[in-house]
Amino acid sequence: MNEDRFASVSRKSIVYFVIVGAFALLGFRLFQMQVIEHASYKEQAAENAIKPIEITPLRGVFYDRNMNVLVSNVPAYTLRITPADYDTSLNNIIETVIGEKPGYINKILKENRVYSKYIPVRIKRDIDFKAVSWLEENSEHLPGVDYIVEMQRGYPAGIRGSHMFGYIREITPRLLEKHKIYYKPGDMIGYSGIEKAYERILRGVKGYNYVLVNARRKEIGKFKDGAEDIPAIKGKDLVLGIDSDVQRVAEECLQGRRGAAVAMDPKTGEILAFASAPDFDLNQFAYVTSRDYLRKLYTDPDKPFFNRVTSAALPPGSTFKIMEAVAALDQGDITTSFTIDCRGGQTFFGRYFKDDGAHGTVNVVHAIEHSCDFFFYNLIYKIGMKEWDIYARKFGFGKKTGLDIDDESSGFIPTPKYYQKVYGSNWPKSIMASLGIGQGEVSITPIQMVQYCSLIANDGVTYTPHLVRGYLTNKDKKLVPFAYKKIDLGIRKSIFDIVKQGMFLVVNGSGTAAGIKDKNIEIAGKTGTAQNPHGKDHAWFIGFAPFNNPKIAVAVLVENVGFGATYAAPIAKKMIEAYLEKDKLNEIEKSIQSSLPKNLIGEAVAH
Amino acid sequence: MRIDYKLNDKFDLGIFIPAFVLFCIGLAAIYSSTLNNPHAAGNFQKQVIWGIGAFILFFVIYSLPTNTFKTLAIPTYLFSILMLLVVLVIGKRISGQKSWLGLEGLGFQPSELAKLGTVLALAYFLSRKNTNIESFKDIIISLTIGLFPVLLIMLEPDLGTSFIFFGLILVMIFWKGISLFGLFVVLSPAIVAVSSLFDMYYFIGTLVLVLITLILFKKDILFSGSLFALNVGAGFFTTYLFRALSLHQQTRIRSFINPGADPLGAGYNAIQAKVAIGSGGFLGKGFLAGSQTQLQFIPEQWTDFIYCVIGEEFGFIGTIIVLTLFLYLFMRILKLASSAKDEFLSLTLIGILAIYFVHFLINVGMVVGIMPVIGLPLPFVSYGGSSLFADVLMLGIAANIYRTRKNYT
Repeated sequence: MNEDRFASVSRKSIVYFVIVGAFALLGFRLFQMQVIEHASYKEQAAENAIKPIEITPLRGVFYDRNMNVLVSNVPAYTLRITPADYDTSLNNIIETVIGEKPGYINKILKENRVYSKYIPVRIKRDIDFKAVSWLEENSEHLPGVDYIVEMQRGYPAGIRGSHMFGYIREITPRLLEKHKIYYKPGDMIGYSGIEKAYERILRGVKGYNYVLVNARRKEIGKFKDGAEDIPAIKGKDLVLGIDSDVQRVAEECLQGRRGAAVAMDPKTGEILAFASAPDFDLNQFAYVTSRDYLRKLYTDPDKPFFNRVTSAALPPGSTFKIMEAVAALDQGDITTSFTIDCRGGQTFFGRYFKDDGAHGTVNVVHAIEHSCDFFFYNLIYKIGMKEWDIYARKFGFGKKTGLDIDDESSGFIPTPKYYQKVYGSNWPKSIMASLGIGQGEVSITPIQMVQYCSLIANDGVTYTPHLVRGYLTNKDKKLVPFAYKKIDLGIRKSIFDIVKQGMFLVVNGSGTAAGIKDKNIEIAGKTGTAQNPHGKDHAWFIGFAPFNNPKIAVAVLVENVGFGATYAAPIAKKMIEAYLEKDKLNEIEKSIQSSLPKNLIGEAVAH
Repeated sequence: MRIDYKLNDKFDLGIFIPAFVLFCIGLAAIYSSTLNNPHAAGNFQKQVIWGIGAFILFFVIYSLPTNTFKTLAIPTYLFSILMLLVVLVIGKRISGQKSWLGLEGLGFQPSELAKLGTVLALAYFLSRKNTNIESFKDIIISLTIGLFPVLLIMLEPDLGTSFIFFGLILVMIFWKGISLFGLFVVLSPAIVAVSSLFDMYYFIGTLVLVLITLILFKKDILFSGSLFALNVGAGFFTTYLFRALSLHQQTRIRSFINPGADPLGAGYNAIQAKVAIGSGGFLGKGFLAGSQTQLQFIPEQWTDFIYCVIGEEFGFIGTIIVLTLFLYLFMRILKLASSAKDEFLSLTLIGILAIYFVHFLINVGMVVGIMPVIGLPLPFVSYGGSSLFADVLMLGIAANIYRTRKNYT
């Protein structure tokens, strides 16, 4: 036999090397997969088999200052469809059951086609109980259809708080793009008001349950018996400064009007009431908002979505006179002995300005009491334009108050520079006379107004206005207060005593708001009427009470009605009464308890 | 000549032990992969029973007079051809293939017998005194013996098994001593055929290479011309054959070219198999603790994808032990084949080695992603009675030849 023929040594070697080569190749490949690239395969295997199931935590609720629940969570049923298991021939019957038009389900499924067909798609939230029982009865004929219980917002206190509370809604694609680290399609997110501003605190932290799934994505058990599960952390409950009773009164009084009513505790900066009218029904936003309702809101000429408390910037009218009086007294331009003889009108720089009547000889206190325009026409020239601007800004005008919900307007305070820009360096100084009585190119928001009123009431010291006092710890429900900035004007108390005297007389003397005089509560205040070239004037009123120990400061704006005294002041009075009468009751209760000798209580218990 | 009566002289533990250990590892893997699958309940028990039967058969074959194989070579071949014809007519159709014969409640695949029959018949023909592997006529006869069963198996259609036949024919005529040119004549149509599956450029490129090689061999023009024509024909025939393949086989071949293209479709098994192996890591996830296996990410894992179970649950250590056992077994058979004095027996052994090796290479290559997904079991390890019986029967022949190796001079 030839050497290179049958079963020769060389042929054996070739077979040998082919086999060894193949083993080397496979061995290397296995080493590469199982040792070098192990981590990436391990991850893929985990992704395959372990499915995280998101647990949405309960959203924090809102309490008012007396721990009444303002905003709560209410269970609601949501219909879902898992496209992978679903048969679209069921569309018709399900649409009938949930009361939707034909094509509704197809549309939603189409919108969600980009996501895995094994992920359930929310078809309709808040389906009624009849639909739920139907689903329950027919579940075996409805593959891929189920329902889950989800929480929606409820408003049990009977107050609307539309602009203040705000609403939550399903996250929009645009927002999702921005916050995709935390949120997933279908998640709810705070969209306005406190819900938006405190979203991070309210939403809590999502949890995950890890379950094992097989190749058909069917759950077959817990992963490591739940040892790796991350529990959801409940959202924190917020405690608001709001007093439901004051809020309810404010909302009721503003019904059918356009305007805003806001109350604040001057000592703490806590907002006690926050109402803007017209408003809207938050229940309609609890989960699904009907298109018709939204269209109605958007087309309403009174703009119900517009938050007048923070964004309606209007001339302050005579309410501004307090600021000017403080400025003049603080600068030493005048003292209480400075008087002006009010003759009912005067010409300033060639322009005639009239007053509502001739008030005779008035000092600053009585000028405030009677809202004597004539006095303040003169006063602003004594203060000076530059200084007027500085004092206005000191009181927080012309800039955002920093309220803890957004969409706030700065309002507008003109500077000498502004007039130079508009009219040239020789701008007509007659403009100043209108500014002196809070008219013209000056605009103020109600929230600025209540801050201003608080500063006066509390002798130049208050805190940044805020709706939320703090949050409750999840464990023992202890209040953790948020810190807010202290505002201190650094103006002597004696100056405030003078202007407050004037404000006291506005209500309790023969002043412009004598109509709201209360026999039990000493209210001090100032009316204002913002001239409106387009229609009826806007009515302002700021006030605080009790006079000697202010616990509540109020600013009320009613648009297009006329004089402040007639329309705005009574609302303020009702709000003050609502707050202080309750306060009085509390105090009486307290004083009864404390007047009882301690040992007596002890004995009573012992017996 | 001194005859050694030690056990190792009569009975090759080097053949038996690796195969038996592989069978046991296979049992463990079958147990693990069918544990949570109600559709495969009882597979473990069945495999144990088949294993007992198969190893009894092993000792029966082992004890036969060695010349029985030569005597039975042609009858076995003819019988297996007959069975292949029968299966086409009355066979059971399982997952698109008509390759099963129902025999008293037990399934049986005639193609498993046909492998052995073909090895024996080819060995018989090639070892005849007047066979000249350089003659065109004898090459054609060899190929006909080898490829006739392939034709019948292709009709089932069972692509994987066909590869086994290509492998064994090639190895056996190589072992017989075919010249380089002869090998070229046999191989070139196959290479052209495979290239035609890719695209037009590969096909034309391969044809050009064949043409250049033909010119280099400097054979006469008529012969070279007809050979070239054969090549071209093979290419077109394969294209035709590819279209005739069942759709799932077509997609399997396509998905090999790009398995990531359709991760949930045809490439799914290939990807999941790799994930199973790779995620096993160095030490494995532990017996019964492989997520890919226990959660059934790989369909019918106990058959063709059994190696994944080992890779996932026993890790690199496990896969390397299996590789080593196979390597050792193959080396023993190769050594025996080259030391066998009888040409028929030597060719039979090399044919058996080829069958084992091609099964092994395609199966392991498939699960580690360097071979297309072709349904072939892993010898001794995969679940399945027919293949286990066939593998152990061939092992019995090898052990038998070892027993009597000194009687042939």
